[in-house]
Amino acid sequence: MTALSGDSLAAALTAGFHCLQRYRDPLNALNVYPVPDGDTGTNMLLTMRAGVEKLSQLNGASAGEVAAQVADGAFWEARGNSGVILSQFFKGIALGLDGKEVCAGEDLAQAFRSATDAAYRSVGNPVEGTMLTVIRWVAEALEAAVEANSDNGAGDLLALWETGYSASKAALEATPTMLPKLREAGVVDAGGMGIVVILGGALLHLTGGDAATADLGLATAAGQIDPSQLASISVESDFLDSSVESEWGYCTQFLIQGENLDIEKVRSDLAATSESLVIVGDDRFIRVHVHMQDPGVALTYAVSLGELDQIKIDNMSLQNQDWASGHQERGAPKDGITLVAVAPGEGLAQLFRDTAGASIVSGGQTMNPSVAQLINAAEESGGENVILLPNNKNVAITAVQAAERENESQTLHVVETSTVPQGIAAALAFNSQAETGQNLQAMRDAVNAVVSIEVTRSVRDTVLEGKPVNEGDYMGLVEGGLAVVETSAEAALMAALDGVGLEEDHIVTIYWGADTDQATVEGVSENLEAQIPGIQVDLVFGGQPHYPYFAAVE
Amino acid sequence: MAVRIVADSTSDLPPAVVEELGITIVPANVVIDDVNYRDGVDLTPDDFYSRLVSGTALPTTSQPSVGAFQTAYQELLDQGHELVSVHVSGKLSGTVNSATQAKAALGEDPPIEIIDSQAASIAVALVAIEAAELARQSMSREEIAERVRSTLSRTFAAFAVDTLEYLQKGGRIGKAQAFVGSLLSVKPILTLMDGEVHPLERPRNHQRAMRRLVELVSEKAPASRLGVIYSTEQEWAAELCDSLSDLLPREQIVTARFGPALGTYVGPRAVGVAIVSEG
Repeated sequence: MTALSGDSLAAALTAGFHCLQRYRDPLNALNVYPVPDGDTGTNMLLTMRAGVEKLSQLNGASAGEVAAQVADGAFWEARGNSGVILSQFFKGIALGLDGKEVCAGEDLAQAFRSATDAAYRSVGNPVEGTMLTVIRWVAEALEAAVEANSDNGAGDLLALWETGYSASKAALEATPTMLPKLREAGVVDAGGMGIVVILGGALLHLTGGDAATADLGLATAAGQIDPSQLASISVESDFLDSSVESEWGYCTQFLIQGENLDIEKVRSDLAATSESLVIVGDDRFIRVHVHMQDPGVALTYAVSLGELDQIKIDNMSLQNQDWASGHQERGAPKDGITLVAVAPGEGLAQLFRDTAGASIVSGGQTMNPSVAQLINAAEESGGENVILLPNNKNVAITAVQAAERENESQTLHVVETSTVPQGIAAALAFNSQAETGQNLQAMRDAVNAVVSIEVTRSVRDTVLEGKPVNEGDYMGLVEGGLAVVETSAEAALMAALDGVGLEEDHIVTIYWGADTDQATVEGVSENLEAQIPGIQVDLVFGGQPHYPYFAAVE
Repeated sequence: MAVRIVADSTSDLPPAVVEELGITIVPANVVIDDVNYRDGVDLTPDDFYSRLVSGTALPTTSQPSVGAFQTAYQELLDQGHELVSVHVSGKLSGTVNSATQAKAALGEDPPIEIIDSQAASIAVALVAIEAAELARQSMSREEIAERVRSTLSRTFAAFAVDTLEYLQKGGRIGKAQAFVGSLLSVKPILTLMDGEVHPLERPRNHQRAMRRLVELVSEKAPASRLGVIYSTEQEWAAELCDSLSDLLPREQIVTARFGPALGTYVGPRAVGVAIVSEG
């Protein structure tokens, strides 16, 4: 391919927009300069959307016309520092492609040169290490490539786009070396990344890929950025803390509509009293973006020049706090290791939640959850590593199957608890702040250190493990095996405990079921304490059906 | 010209050790019912804990003032000393900040080395004791500071609390937040990691917590220094000393008490251990 038709250019820019959409949240999260207020992605996206939306009405238009429509749409909806600069970038591209039927290699180079000039001009005080640098590096790389290829035309357009995209990535990577704020925060420039993302999305489209699901393999000092995982982005905590303590003032934006407006005079008048000034427009419309401690000063000045429209004022200190707290919350253990527990009964569910922040799948002996239920709960829990506690012998098999499923963003582990008391011992040993391997070890040790008792009622006459059992009898199971048969639940529990061989330094925890009443279980506890002085008996409402009692001895 | 060691009251250095080794303690502040007390000076641990347990008002703490540091530093500098000043983790307290400001106020580059221990309490005490002993051996300020930093990297401390309530109310719970909210009775064991409170384990009762504290420390043996600390139950500290006497002769184990400043956060019935592993 030696040139892009208008339609191809439109499709490429639309793909760039879709890629920007995919990267919106990461861009917001990386936004530390000039003000860490977390809106770069949104601002660039909304600005570009206004441009791309105009393309749907075009069909068979020239490359020049396509670029002009994007620039026009972007100008009217431009918002935020990065959005206004982006709108000027498109304006420069349009200028460079003005009158061109198709976009050939040398046209592309010329368009980026003109885009660079427009972008730098729009800013009161151009700073390197920002999207300006990224745009300029692309222009320089394109010019050099076109120059080198001048003998055989500009050469292949795809190769050229690839060259430009590589240059944008190199520039992005260099931004922290140019701008100390980025270095302190451990990030690359968000606006610059927006440019990279647009170019990368367009390139993907031109080479037959899908921009909407792209992972461009971008990274910060902290590691690779996964656009679908906001947690893959982190900002240095010292930077977060200090950013919250700063006074950021108000981001003030408006459009001045008038006649014979002098954009250079407006620029110099406002530059004296403000920061982050970006001004674009012509003698009839001027868009102003400025940061001021008092937004009134800018408005009063502007209203003397003409009509004001699209006035937007944001308190950046508040935006910064939201941004910083978003980062701090993402830094919380959720990103790391989480727990999914299968629990029969509301009391037990509550216990797993409170003890270990576990996500709950309800189920147990009579209601085995599916592989899909376990996987869904794991996904919802959000951990990179998820530990499953099946808490039942039958469910354990399902859990192992769930863990065998391939999953890119999560690794599932199973601690094969076959009873609820084992599960609770494991949950108590869980430490969201420790490594996965350490957790698995500690949880398995805890499971081994506890003896489980389950008491349930027989629903028919039968012989189990050589013992005759009548319908209505209560069976006491120790470690899953039938140990005693009694005519009451309490007698079965006491006999099973007795069989375990209680000693004074043991801890007995009794989880009483949905159909057991509290007074009865308190009676059991008093009995135990009377029989074995010094023993610790804890009573917890489990709420499980079919099992009057679960008990743990440790 | 000799080197002297300065610490703050949250190191919980036993008064007898402070006296013997000539360590200077700058007190933190504890405010109860709007009255400001200097930690360990105007308020003894016994008074403090009885008020903590009975009172409805939760005490608050604040780092020593810049002025308190400046006065202490000035006095020692006037006597011709150089100083090594070792303090509680900057993530838990602004103490290092006060010390740094005081140093800056004392002119161009005064001979004071300020160290953020990233630790607290008995762990800082063990390191301060080592620093003071080195100072007695006429080691230079720079050498002592270097040794202190290396010793800190070999220091581990863990403590078991009766309840996380005080850490939580006082806003120092840190990553141990993960252990808040158990319906079961537990005695959480915590440590300091990267300068903040970090959860370790949740034994089900006091006996098991004591056993685990001893095991955690024993895993770090051989020990060059050991310490135990308690808030209200002295016999628990004695018990820990007995259990640890395989690692170091009992008389070499430092027994300390959480002073009011730290007691505000660990609460009554807390107990802890610290070890400096051999280098």
